Amino acid sequence: MKTYKIISVTVLMLILSTTTNAQNLPLGQHIAEKTHERNEGISMKRKLTMALKDKRGKVRIRETISLRKYYGKEKRLAIFYETPRSVQGTAFLTYDYPNASVDDDQWLYMPALRKTRRISAANRGDYFLGTDLTYEDIKLETRISLDDYNYKTLGKEIIKGQACFIVEGTPKTKEIAKELGYGKVKFWIDAKIWMLRKAESWDVAQNHLKTIEITDVKQVQGIWTYHKIFVKNHKTGHETIFLNSDIDYQTNISDDTFTKEALVNGL
Amino acid sequence: MKTQNNTVVSFFNYVTSHHKVILFISAALIICSALFIPKMTKDTSYDAFLPKDDPILTFRNKTKEVFGLKDPMVIAIVNENGVFNTKTLKLVQELSDALKTVKGIDPDQITSLYTENNIVGTEDGLEVNPFYEIDELSNDKAKDVKHAINDFELYQGSLVSKDHTTTLILAEMLDTYDKKQHEVYKSLIKLLDTYQPNNSKLYLAGEGAVSGYLIKYIDEDAMKTNPFAAVVISIILIFAYRRLRGVVIPNIMVLASVGIALGTMAAFGVDFYVITNGLPVVLIAIAVADGIHILGEYYEATSMHPEFSQKELVMHTMVNMWRPIVITSITTIAGFLAVSASSYMPPMTYFGLFGALGVFAALVYAVFFIPSALMLVKPQTSKAYKSDQKVDRFGKIMEFVGVLVIKYPRVILAVAFLIILFGINGASKLEINEDRITNFQSDESIVKADAIINSKTDGTSYLDIYVETPENEDIFKPNNLQKIQDLQYYAETLPHVKGSISIVDFLKKMNQSLHENNPEYYKVPENKDLIAQYFLLYSASGDPTDFDNYVDYDYRLANIRLRMDTGKYEFEKPVVDAINSYLGNNFNSDTIKATTTGKVTVDAYWINRLGFNHFLGAGLALLVVLLVSALSFRSFSAGLLTIIPVSISVLFIYTVMGLLNIWLAVGTSMFAAIAIGIGVDFAVHTVDRLKFLLNDQGLPVKQAYSEFYKSAGRALLFNFLALALGFSVLMTSSVPPLSKFGFLVAVAVSVSFIGSMTLLPAIVLVSKPKFFNINK
Repeated sequence: MKTYKIISVTVLMLILSTTTNAQNLPLGQHIAEKTHERNEGISMKRKLTMALKDKRGKVRIRETISLRKYYGKEKRLAIFYETPRSVQGTAFLTYDYPNASVDDDQWLYMPALRKTRRISAANRGDYFLGTDLTYEDIKLETRISLDDYNYKTLGKEIIKGQACFIVEGTPKTKEIAKELGYGKVKFWIDAKIWMLRKAESWDVAQNHLKTIEITDVKQVQGIWTYHKIFVKNHKTGHETIFLNSDIDYQTNISDDTFTKEALVNGL
Repeated sequence: MKTQNNTVVSFFNYVTSHHKVILFISAALIICSALFIPKMTKDTSYDAFLPKDDPILTFRNKTKEVFGLKDPMVIAIVNENGVFNTKTLKLVQELSDALKTVKGIDPDQITSLYTENNIVGTEDGLEVNPFYEIDELSNDKAKDVKHAINDFELYQGSLVSKDHTTTLILAEMLDTYDKKQHEVYKSLIKLLDTYQPNNSKLYLAGEGAVSGYLIKYIDEDAMKTNPFAAVVISIILIFAYRRLRGVVIPNIMVLASVGIALGTMAAFGVDFYVITNGLPVVLIAIAVADGIHILGEYYEATSMHPEFSQKELVMHTMVNMWRPIVITSITTIAGFLAVSASSYMPPMTYFGLFGALGVFAALVYAVFFIPSALMLVKPQTSKAYKSDQKVDRFGKIMEFVGVLVIKYPRVILAVAFLIILFGINGASKLEINEDRITNFQSDESIVKADAIINSKTDGTSYLDIYVETPENEDIFKPNNLQKIQDLQYYAETLPHVKGSISIVDFLKKMNQSLHENNPEYYKVPENKDLIAQYFLLYSASGDPTDFDNYVDYDYRLANIRLRMDTGKYEFEKPVVDAINSYLGNNFNSDTIKATTTGKVTVDAYWINRLGFNHFLGAGLALLVVLLVSALSFRSFSAGLLTIIPVSISVLFIYTVMGLLNIWLAVGTSMFAAIAIGIGVDFAVHTVDRLKFLLNDQGLPVKQAYSEFYKSAGRALLFNFLALALGFSVLMTSSVPPLSKFGFLVAVAVSVSFIGSMTLLPAIVLVSKPKFFNINK
């Protein structure tokens, strides 16, 4: 009995030592690619609630219906506001093009003005609709960039019960850093399903900027799906919680939904 | 009387028998208190003038908290050829970026042309973009920035002067640097020195800079005035006694008084304020007086009674002197406590309190330390006191004064009457005013910077108006926005209000931008939902914190910031009053309410109390002094007599202030109570000695007066010189309020001395009060 114990402990230690050995960790770039290979479905409809909290603890709740569809690598996203009442019917549409050098297209329909207004191409580092995520964060969601960072895999860690690779990214150039607003990032990628679970970021002056936590990950219609993102901005004290519910990958969303005209009519 | 004398004798017997222990304790006490002094923190902000729990101040702090408002460091870039060129715009960018790395500056709270966003309407939308990016800066781009500012009313006067020659960079400090503004100020000066643009000039001012520089400024001033005062006092002491111990002993008294007062302040965590800088000099001048009187008596006794043993000599001196010393100290303490009790403002309350403590320390050292120190050294005579009744030059001068008084008492009375008339007239015309920038000499660079920024831009004095509505998003109601706009229009008609900013200005700009930049739409939108949607639209490309200074997160509270180009109370007060009455008559209702706050409101509120506090303090000091002297002389008329010279001295000062156009301000408002407390000493000594000579010894008038002038008169002359010259040292201070305070007290003390030496004996001669038993 004793010998079995010794053998099993030794085997276990061997396994642990090989997996924690840096030489056996996957390369950061490989992990990044893996996050892009994950199945996200073609179209998705969900109820998206954004809770924004300022540093004094005051909260703004915005309930929306959010639609998303991939056209190859191009991503179209439409958000229809339901509350608060003053912005009910307001709708936001964005076309994210895969080529970073092509500006994304964005529109906002304002029912009180009965007009759709084009929004200037946002910088990738601009904040998305008053939240603590940037346009780039929203575009990538639970994936990590393929082109912006030089990666280094730091090790493995258990996050909320799931083994994750820790990847550190430094922007390839100063220009990229300035554009993104990040001087350094650290990602925790689920080693099993290749989904981003947690991220820490620092600004260009290396001040701790944000913590992002992606939780409530469950399979919905066979697709791994997160239900909550929590973001804390350490510099401003501002927080955002994104809550997803009623997620549906199966209903086919008509291409007409992602047009300026459709914004006016609402859902 | 006899039992009292016995008590006194046995007390000093005890003291002289334990002189070594007392000396040891005295030294230990000074050292222990002084050890706390390095712990002292300085507070030069204008908030310091109100107690921390004052409702006006707490409301202002709440407003600051809600809207994230700070008192910034303001850097002005002045280019007489205009700022819209690549060089100046590049300088704005370089400075804005460099400021982020300055310790103590909040890197996210820098406001300049480079950091702020422009709102532009495009054919089919709205763009929120920086005015310029550094890598696309060209001559054409510079012109674009100029047009953008011309189109953006909000930033005209606040970010760029209306004549385009000046642009501002505002930098806010981190809260953790609250009492270390001088460190940030120093780093900024250093930073600005590394930029020497050849076509423009850099200036640094603003409330943050004023507070920062003041800390440094009063430090340097203290390093200069305090040693100078000690030297002046020592020189007087050399003239008075021409003996080493005559210089050393009073100087140790000074150390004790100043050391214990400041050490206790530091130990109790009381901040050092701008006017506290005057306290050491004031205490130096006062603390030395007890020593002068005791040593005068000591040397007189050594020359009159060469047969006395060391102990007999010290006992004789102390038994004779304890009474006037205690009474004069109590009256001086009363003066300081009157300042403390009458003032609502912490800097003055503490000035009075710790001034009183310093004087008390001096009294304790006079009673315990001086006799102990004299026991340690052998009896000694002074060349100034000769045994054969000959008087020196100073004594002769005083004797001559006595002759004049006996000859012309009625002329003296007439002059006093005239001073009273002029003084009452002056008091009624006193001008209450204050301006923080006058804490510096007019040739200081910060004063010039302040003047340039105030003349070129909308100014750096802020009046905030806190607007409150009952429900979330109520600020969006067009009615409420209209009211805010009307209030702004009204405020901008008031003198010295140069500009105002509120959320309404941003909304009007957004409305115009979303209507193809049509100027007709530069107005408040008429639909509440539209306004909410504008903000959502803005958040699609703007920073979520852009409006933090103007509206709260629930859209329930708003802030209107008015800018004034002056920090003078006389201009601030009418504006606050006008806005308050406008709010009461035209603004406040069940659905919206506004309250004035901000630096201008705080100023108007506390300076308003200065006048009342001043007269209250003076009245209180007079009353206490009257009570103390009436009780100690056991005669009301004798008490009344003692306060005549000080009353006249204060009235005289009112005339001087009117003639020289000196404001009743923070520093100067304290003069009366303190001048009364100190100045009354001459009268106390005079009454005490005249009574002794006339009543107790029963000398004829002429002889009594001659005796009085050549002995007590001479000691009082040196006492007066020490006080007047000590306070004159404050006149060399580079902090104008302190130098004016020193000047006024020095003049008041002179008038009190002259009054006590002339008017008081003249009144005694003419009215022959029973107390002196003059006809005997």
